[in-house]
Amino acid sequence: MKVKIALAQINPLLGDIEKNREKHLEFIGKAIENNAQIIVFPELSITGYRLKDFAMEVALPADSNFFNPILKQSKKIDIAFGFVERGSDSNVYNSAMYIENQSIKSVYRKIYLPTHGMFQELRFMGRGEKVTTFKTKYGNFSMLICRDLFHPSLLFLTYAQKTDVVLGMSNMPLRGVTGEKPAIQETVEKAIDTYTNFFSQFIVFVNRVGFEDGLGFYGGSFVGTPLGKKLAFAGILQEKLTFATIDLEEIYKKRQLFPLAREEDLNIVQNNLSRILEENYGKF
Amino acid sequence: MENFRLNYELVKKFIIEFIKEEVHSNGFNRCVVGLSGGLDSVLVAYLSKEALGKENVKAIIMPYKTSNPASKEDALATATHLGILYETIDITKIADAYFKKEKEMTNIRMGNFLARTRMSILFDKSREFKALVMGTSNKSELILGYSTWYGDMAASLYPIGDLYKTQIFEFAQFMQIPEKIIAKKPSADLWPGQTDEKELGAKYIQIDSILTLYVDQRKTKDEIIAMGYSQKIVESLLNRIKKNQFKRTLPPVAKFSPRTFGLDFLYPHDLGK
Repeated sequence: MKVKIALAQINPLLGDIEKNREKHLEFIGKAIENNAQIIVFPELSITGYRLKDFAMEVALPADSNFFNPILKQSKKIDIAFGFVERGSDSNVYNSAMYIENQSIKSVYRKIYLPTHGMFQELRFMGRGEKVTTFKTKYGNFSMLICRDLFHPSLLFLTYAQKTDVVLGMSNMPLRGVTGEKPAIQETVEKAIDTYTNFFSQFIVFVNRVGFEDGLGFYGGSFVGTPLGKKLAFAGILQEKLTFATIDLEEIYKKRQLFPLAREEDLNIVQNNLSRILEENYGKF
Repeated sequence: MENFRLNYELVKKFIIEFIKEEVHSNGFNRCVVGLSGGLDSVLVAYLSKEALGKENVKAIIMPYKTSNPASKEDALATATHLGILYETIDITKIADAYFKKEKEMTNIRMGNFLARTRMSILFDKSREFKALVMGTSNKSELILGYSTWYGDMAASLYPIGDLYKTQIFEFAQFMQIPEKIIAKKPSADLWPGQTDEKELGAKYIQIDSILTLYVDQRKTKDEIIAMGYSQKIVESLLNRIKKNQFKRTLPPVAKFSPRTFGLDFLYPHDLGK
């Protein structure tokens, strides 16, 4: 099956959810005009990133009426976007939502919230705990958010649940300007190359652009495929809507050429992990 | 010595996007730059012109009677070469009116007063021109606090604030700034004969090497000295970093309410932008 995916490399306004919703509708409109079947936005695309105390003021439950105009458009296209979620547990989360045909298919809460150096996420938001796979018209999907992508264990969990396509929604700030590309971009591309190769999945990486308090998000969105192709490169530092048509048949081809999935044994993983957890009292 | 080389094409692109976005998202199209004719302010003028267009950049040239005449010439030549707007305001009368009444003016007091007089004019001109004030501080200065608090440090944004002076020299070459300006001895020019390297006690390549080892690579003082750097210089620079931390923060508030500015009332700078 072939699927046309739109990568919305946008620059949201910090804390202005109405204007950001308008921008979502504008990009969704363009994606529909171009016959895309799915559109993917970056992490926290509805709210902006460096919210600090303001996170609480823009948090919304996933089923809030605020999202109705976006929900309405999902009759024509599947939509994944990021927002600050007000949980029913009265905590707030850095979440991503996938909607299809006017219903919420999945809400994913970012698990690894970086809190060091320039990052302060855990100070202002709660931590998610569950990596899930959900069925769409186009196969099994999972969402991961930014720093999650630097934890191979989470990618492995999507692989173990037979995910075909991982949506990697990000707000990665640029750093490292000695090489041809920003160092962070090299790191992300290497990681995605490795995951797509060994887990024979597609990864749709959508990173935002724009500046917040001096942090400059680099963009560089693209789709990595199991056969090692890179599609729909959006370039850096500019808002852009790019399109990738992926062929899910690639997964079958790859898994026959390089049958790692057939060798995989989750019992071995679990037994070893249980032993390690016991030996370390559950701590890393 | 450390290697400071960067991909200057990427740095240029990044800083230009930064200036564009910061200026536009704050509701402005224009900027003013205090142009002394020194390398940092010339570099900021070049970058601002590329980001905003020559008609949206105004250089304010503010010499004092003791300022090096060559600096003013370089400032004028830069403004003319770039085709940006400019205005010259001699601050001698303003400053001397105050100095005359003060008995014991030291170099430091005079230097600070001149820097703050320039700041005052620059912010007034930014209002007149409906513009933001570009900062010209570099990373070496910001780390050392080698600048006047609420003087030359006062600005709306710091486009070159993450570049060491050593990188500014290289970046300036990439930006094709005239060699004559790059080759000048760096100086705040607040009194005759003042130079950065004389005041700081070392060449910039040494200063920046020590700074990057300490700040970016998290080496300890002893590790840096063990690498062969002079103990006296290392200690003097590290002392400056600590002593001048106050310049890099907003003043402390005596906290007693539930949410206090700077402590636990933490809105971002760029809210709504």
